[in-house]
Amino acid sequence: MPPVLTASPVKTPSDRLLALGASLYLALGFGFLFLPLLALVLFSFEASRLPTLPWTGWTLDWYHALWADGRLMVALKHSLVVSPIAATLATILGFLAAYTLNRFNFLGKRLLSIVMIVPLLVPPLIMGVAFLGLLSRVNLQGKLVSVVLTHGVILIPTAIALITIRLAEISRDLEQAAWNLGATEWQALIRVVLPLAWPGIAAAWLLAFTFSFDEFIIAWFVSGFEPTLPVAIYSFMAFNLDPSLNAMGTIIFVFSILLLVGVELLVLPMLLKGRQQPGSEAG
Amino acid sequence: MATHDLELVNIHKSYGAVTVLQAINLRVQAGEFIAIMGPSGCGKTTLLRVIAGLEGVSGGRVLLQGQDITALPVNRRNTPLVWQSFALFPHLNVRQNIAFGLTLTGFARPEIERRVGEMAVMLNLESLLERRISQLSGGQKQRVAIARSLVTKPNILLLDEPMSALDPHLRVRMQGELKRLQQTLGISFFYVTHNQNEAFSMADRVVVMNQGRIEQIGSPAEIYNAPASHFVAEFVGNNNLFDGEVVANDGQTIQIRCPQGLIRATVRQRSHPVGDRVTVVVPADRLAIAAGGAADNRLQATLRAKEFIGSQVIYFLETPTGHEVKLIQQQSFGDSMQVPVNTELELVWQLENTILLGERSLDP
Amino acid sequence: MANSTVKPTKAPNDASWLGALCLAPAVIYDTLLFLLPLIFLVWIGFWTVDNYVMVPGFSLANYSDIFQQFFSRSRYGFAMGQSLWVSATTTLLAVVLCYPFAMALAFRVPARWQRLGILLAIAPFWSSYILRLYAWQTLLNQEGLINSLLLQVGLIQAPMEIVFTQTGTRIGLLHYLAPIMILILYLALKNIDTTLLGAAQNLGANRWQVFWRVILPLTRPGVVYSAVFAMIISLGDVLSGIILGGGTGRSVFGSLPLFSTMILNEYAASTNLPRTAALATLLIVIMVLVLLVGNQFSHTES
Repeated sequence: MPPVLTASPVKTPSDRLLALGASLYLALGFGFLFLPLLALVLFSFEASRLPTLPWTGWTLDWYHALWADGRLMVALKHSLVVSPIAATLATILGFLAAYTLNRFNFLGKRLLSIVMIVPLLVPPLIMGVAFLGLLSRVNLQGKLVSVVLTHGVILIPTAIALITIRLAEISRDLEQAAWNLGATEWQALIRVVLPLAWPGIAAAWLLAFTFSFDEFIIAWFVSGFEPTLPVAIYSFMAFNLDPSLNAMGTIIFVFSILLLVGVELLVLPMLLKGRQQPGSEAG
Repeated sequence: MATHDLELVNIHKSYGAVTVLQAINLRVQAGEFIAIMGPSGCGKTTLLRVIAGLEGVSGGRVLLQGQDITALPVNRRNTPLVWQSFALFPHLNVRQNIAFGLTLTGFARPEIERRVGEMAVMLNLESLLERRISQLSGGQKQRVAIARSLVTKPNILLLDEPMSALDPHLRVRMQGELKRLQQTLGISFFYVTHNQNEAFSMADRVVVMNQGRIEQIGSPAEIYNAPASHFVAEFVGNNNLFDGEVVANDGQTIQIRCPQGLIRATVRQRSHPVGDRVTVVVPADRLAIAAGGAADNRLQATLRAKEFIGSQVIYFLETPTGHEVKLIQQQSFGDSMQVPVNTELELVWQLENTILLGERSLDP
Repeated sequence: MANSTVKPTKAPNDASWLGALCLAPAVIYDTLLFLLPLIFLVWIGFWTVDNYVMVPGFSLANYSDIFQQFFSRSRYGFAMGQSLWVSATTTLLAVVLCYPFAMALAFRVPARWQRLGILLAIAPFWSSYILRLYAWQTLLNQEGLINSLLLQVGLIQAPMEIVFTQTGTRIGLLHYLAPIMILILYLALKNIDTTLLGAAQNLGANRWQVFWRVILPLTRPGVVYSAVFAMIISLGDVLSGIILGGGTGRSVFGSLPLFSTMILNEYAASTNLPRTAALATLLIVIMVLVLLVGNQFSHTES
């Protein structure tokens, strides 16, 4: 059904003004959102140290500099190890929790659902200090594995939230029909629930990975001498405001486009379900 | 040894103060088509789910071919269910859906293929086996759902309002096909519906439920002609109910005095001594407008409204005592019975068309 | 006739050992790695430091220190005020700016482009936050693109100082918050039953009235959620305040650091964990208050 506000048949001057205003505002908004990204990409190829116009010339120097200065690349490697592992861990634990909360009825379920979301509400700054406190007592601070474990805490609720959205879309009848036809709980889970839930699981992994990959503050407290990428960038920035950071930014941006494809295919359909496709299947 | 496919013994289910099922006793014969009928919320779907094991009971037993399955988990009961929503697995095609139950246990590939093929032929699905579920029409989905349930060769098939998602004209056709299928297979069908026509046209016996209890069990004819309780008389068919007191009983004819008048009936099974309070049931289609001649029963009433429903006309009348009476008449072409509203009429009917409520006892 | 079973039977979806088994890992994980650290954090706030070694105990020394210096030497109080001020203004700004954007997307963009629109709007979220801030810094500083463009065009006489002010911080925060807030508000707007809009117009409401009396009230929960989200993120954010705010960004109240920056710097400078923990606990208290207030707002009308 077309949005009502645009469906008025009479195009009054105020209509046109509103349409113009809306288009302008959208353009400004998108401009604001993409300006820094554009700057990163553009100036990663500019010869001048000072990213500004007029244009001084094309160069790949900054990419070479990035490669030559191993620190950022090492940190990138660390992040590419930590984030997938953390995302996987969180997705598995999150799926099990989401499945249970979705299927079973028990006392205190409501409360438990809310409690499991709370870790997302506590600012990473506070969690960072808290983790440092605990981990230093058990001598686990400064290691990459600590980053995996601590990231897991905020990634699990993320996974639970996204997978829950997907599970809610699956009719309860389907799992029950599987049992009715002879499937054990495990068989029904593997052969019916999992295949139908996998878009949610994949979306959860994607989002968890992104959160972890971009996470600065907890990693700053916890990763010590094996920094993740954001932490390394931060130290880098403290000493040299170097356009090789533009190069790093461009690489990450290209990488994020890949992630965006995943978002488009998995996350958006779930969130926008029912609002985009009118009419269900014919009876 | 056991001749009953399904036996429900004293099934009782409640959540705290709310009772959902009470004193349910039922024995389904081998190869019987039994329909459970009742208004929304009467517990019929809950009963179905109890049999399948999807819900628990607070008390009572469920026996399948003599074996107590009350404590058996869902997946071990072999009581497949045809769901109202069909519940076909969207990520599997038709063939895989049908084969599902067989792939869970150790059936060999060739045997699975054979059985699926068998089902496909029986339910006219051969050309659809490779299709995705989303590409099927409602009628096709229903047949796949049935095939999927029958492939494990159960002794009883449970059906939860399987026609509700179909177009009306398709329903009528499917009713016949379903009945033929049941008779071909020779297994019991346990069919839940709120639709009277479905229940009556297909079932060997009908169970009428209300508020968690069984009101009456009997053949469609029995339910229709000899309702056991007030609820059944009002829920099934189109009946007029008159409450009164027995004033005479000579062993052959019984006379009941009601506010609307004196009503005569044939003595059937129960003997009602003088003074008994009874409810008289007169089906609306057994009344006629007096056209001279003798009649066993007469009633004065004024026509208040008429309703045309295709082949029939329903007349709504009011007796001098203020009670409503309904009369249903088949419309024949060129009928000169164009009776205007507010006419005073005399209604007549025969002795044998007067039914006394509760003449048949509840036989599980 | 045999006895009926007296024992009631369970349904498959009643609580069972399988459910407990599936839930256990996440619950144990959260207990060990979420609850425990937080409780520990609050406790550490009551410890002291002696010769660079932490001494467990229960002492209010940290808190008394903090509150003594609250408005004087260490200026924790001012920093807290700065944080609250910046967060509140950022939240307001974000809601006011993102809402029309979401509306334009939901109502003005043709249906087949909306999916692309929302994808583009949330796209920045998937690239690096710290590097986006770096880019903003290069754009906004005195030799940066924005200033040189404005100078060339003649709109300003001298370069504006945006970096090293809380305006800069706000821009950074806004850029972080916008994609998510736009998404939340977009979903809230799409959730409105369009027949209600038609009905309102049918009853004679003009465009403004439809917005004010139908759309806005119906999206209220979404607005509240996004505002609470913005507030919490802003209060806890560290990077914008440092990279764009310059650490002690100038605001209406003066050049004061944000509370979060303060915590970070405190720790980096002194590695006095008990003191840092006490400050963090203080922040938790403020957050809880914010949440409670936000909860009130979303419950006053359903």
